[in-house]
Amino acid sequence: MASVVEIKDLWWRYEGSKQEVLRGVNLSIERGEFAAIMGPSGAGKTTLVLTLNGSIPQRIPGEFRGRVNVLGMDTLSHDVTEIARRVALVFEDPEIQFVMSTVEDEIILALEPLGLPRDEIRSRVEWSLELVGLDKSFLGRHPYQLSGGEKQRVAIATALARQPDILVLDEPTSDLDPIGKEEVISAIRSLRRELDITIVMVEHESEIVAEFADRIYILDRGRVVLDGESYNVFREIDKVKEHAVYPPEYIELASRIRLDGIPRTLEELIDRLRGYSLEVKPFRHVAGGGGGEAILKCRDIYFTYPDGVEALKGVSLDIRRGELIALTGPNGSGKTTLAKIFAGLLKPTRGVVEVLGKPLDTYDRQALSSIVGYVYQNPEHQIFNQSVWDEVAFGLRIRSRSVEDVSGRVEEALKMFNLYGLRREHPFFLSKGEKRRLALASIYVLNPKVLIVDEPTTGQDKRFSEALIKLFREMVSSGKTVIVITHTIPLAARYSDRMIVLKDGRVLAEGSPHEILSKVEVVREGRLITPQTARIYSSLDLPPPPPLSVEEFLERVTVKIR
Amino acid sequence: MPTVLRELTGVEASSEKYMGLHVAAKIFVPFSLSLSILFTKDPYSAIILVLISLSICLVAGIPLSLLKRYLVVIGSMTSFIALSFVLFTHIPGKTIYEATILSFQAEKGVFEWKISVTDRGLLYIAIFTSRIFAMIFSALLLLGTVTDRDIIWGLRSIGLPFGVCVAVSLFFRGIQLFVSDFYTVREAMMARGVDFAKTSLAKKFLLYVNALIPILSLMITRSFEVSMALEARGIAPGTKTSTIYHTYKMGRRDYIVVAFSTLLVAIYAGWYLWPAW
Repeated sequence: MASVVEIKDLWWRYEGSKQEVLRGVNLSIERGEFAAIMGPSGAGKTTLVLTLNGSIPQRIPGEFRGRVNVLGMDTLSHDVTEIARRVALVFEDPEIQFVMSTVEDEIILALEPLGLPRDEIRSRVEWSLELVGLDKSFLGRHPYQLSGGEKQRVAIATALARQPDILVLDEPTSDLDPIGKEEVISAIRSLRRELDITIVMVEHESEIVAEFADRIYILDRGRVVLDGESYNVFREIDKVKEHAVYPPEYIELASRIRLDGIPRTLEELIDRLRGYSLEVKPFRHVAGGGGGEAILKCRDIYFTYPDGVEALKGVSLDIRRGELIALTGPNGSGKTTLAKIFAGLLKPTRGVVEVLGKPLDTYDRQALSSIVGYVYQNPEHQIFNQSVWDEVAFGLRIRSRSVEDVSGRVEEALKMFNLYGLRREHPFFLSKGEKRRLALASIYVLNPKVLIVDEPTTGQDKRFSEALIKLFREMVSSGKTVIVITHTIPLAARYSDRMIVLKDGRVLAEGSPHEILSKVEVVREGRLITPQTARIYSSLDLPPPPPLSVEEFLERVTVKIR
Repeated sequence: MPTVLRELTGVEASSEKYMGLHVAAKIFVPFSLSLSILFTKDPYSAIILVLISLSICLVAGIPLSLLKRYLVVIGSMTSFIALSFVLFTHIPGKTIYEATILSFQAEKGVFEWKISVTDRGLLYIAIFTSRIFAMIFSALLLLGTVTDRDIIWGLRSIGLPFGVCVAVSLFFRGIQLFVSDFYTVREAMMARGVDFAKTSLAKKFLLYVNALIPILSLMITRSFEVSMALEARGIAPGTKTSTIYHTYKMGRRDYIVVAFSTLLVAIYAGWYLWPAW
């Protein structure tokens, strides 16, 4: 088969940067292939994607060596707009791709420069929307009125309307809730079924990659460290984990059970396990944190935004000392609104909120923010000082703390979040992960009893996400309460003491992860994506609750291979 | 489709008939009002213009309750105009009130600073205040009835280059993003213990200057990302198109509205040029 993408010995260094981001990349993608690019955050995946349409080196300044040939076009000698006619790129953040104020205009914008007749434009607009599972009713809608999954599908439709030969998707599901992910995944499924198009996708989630990709390239520190057919790459469990890529749980489970040969699909593993004798130990609930007194209490709270959107409709909850809580639920279910009410940033329309036994409105801003800390999803919104040190010291300085106190506490917080070496740096120059740690440190330094963190693992690789959640666990061990707003159910299931599922502004369910994820109706209604291990266990009709990790499965289930 | 006013304040015009007008007509009405403001030179013409613009706002269904939020700003602007006429300008005319605030012997005579209220001064204050109100109403009319989509496709239909129209669209998106980022950063400061209600004006100013750091940083990052995303779709500043998908046609109602607006400007221009009319 002919290669449509041919990269030879590609080196790239951003202007002003000391190190190369890409260091001798070689890869070749064939026509009609679905290639996945995986690797840790900062490995150079997005940079590599930007070389495919010539944005690097034509638009971004830096030092380029090597050769990138796409559909027979050398990206050095063909202009970006010329390459873009045949290579469509969909970025991680769907919002950043929207320029116009209706879905229809958004798609038309990309078609008008092609000089197509009006009828052709019209039919392409409808065809592309249908392909991603959206109907004509979306044409007149403002992109901001769409859910995350719909936005990303519109972005994919916009790319497809131009009928490109290659579609490049840069982490298309990372910003989305489970529903949005499922929507985008089914759109990709439809593309695979309907079109003979070459797809290159950057993705962290191995389950998605395992379903679609013919071939995987694992990138780490600017090099392709592993590549091959997806099944063969994921089988190298230890090797891929070294590069922050976690294979699908079913592959790891099969390998740890020491089955003869790793099954190709989850269904195959289930079938094979059905043929073995399985011994299940009774489930013993291990008490986590959460035995302390209630720090936050809310009773029957409602919240309506000025535009009339009812975000909360009668929420009642107790948040206790020493708990790690995963607050989850679909986008728009009211998670962030509830968190902001706890932090005193929004006032409930109705209902009572108590902090340490006193009504929330009896606290002034400083007193409340010393008890309940809130960390924003995008750390850039929270960083407004000239150095890392000043950023962390800001909250203490406005409280007029002594210089010694500020200095001691800032130092402790910086060391805790591994930022001490960067204390003199301007926050602008930190990486995404470092900025996130800085945002956390700047709240942690205030020593709040409750720390609310809004989607800290979004767009991060599993290694970073696990390290962050382990840090939260340490904080919980020292008596703090941490509420993590998250869509990453497997992580929440593994590490949280309690899960609270919101839906349509109401508490759909709350309880331990085992309780929540063993209730079929809660999983379905809350559109929670359960860990693969739990799905395998449930398919084997074993006594509930299902295990939530490979380790737990192996602990509770003995597989006797005859 | 939200109008510019809705994006900024959450309210917009409610009259479906007015909103159904051709974009050119919707832009031309406030434009003609603004042009007429330049030709007002006596309190009668100014007050009539205020009444006309107010009536059009009401016809268009602009919720005037919105003005309540800005009463302090409008009040202080009007007071400022009144004070500047009274304290710093002597308008010849029949003196109604006069007082000397400061008087001293300078090298070349006596220097005096007087408060002087004359009948013509009061007329000027009335004209300027009316002009401000007429400007506010015409701005409300424009922002409350025109969507950014109207403006962009309107510009395209009059033949402006594709790149210019995309730039205009990006400008509107930039405003939305700037406003939303500003509120988020402000809230993030509050989450760290900043109480804007209890903070002094000077401190507040410094905090807002600090807030510009993340906002500008986000704007730079976003503008870079947006331009990359546009280029990835084959759209560059010099991109030319041979097709215009949306074509707008003016109807009878649109022509009537444009004719009325033109007549209004003509009357005011006549009133200005030939006061004996």
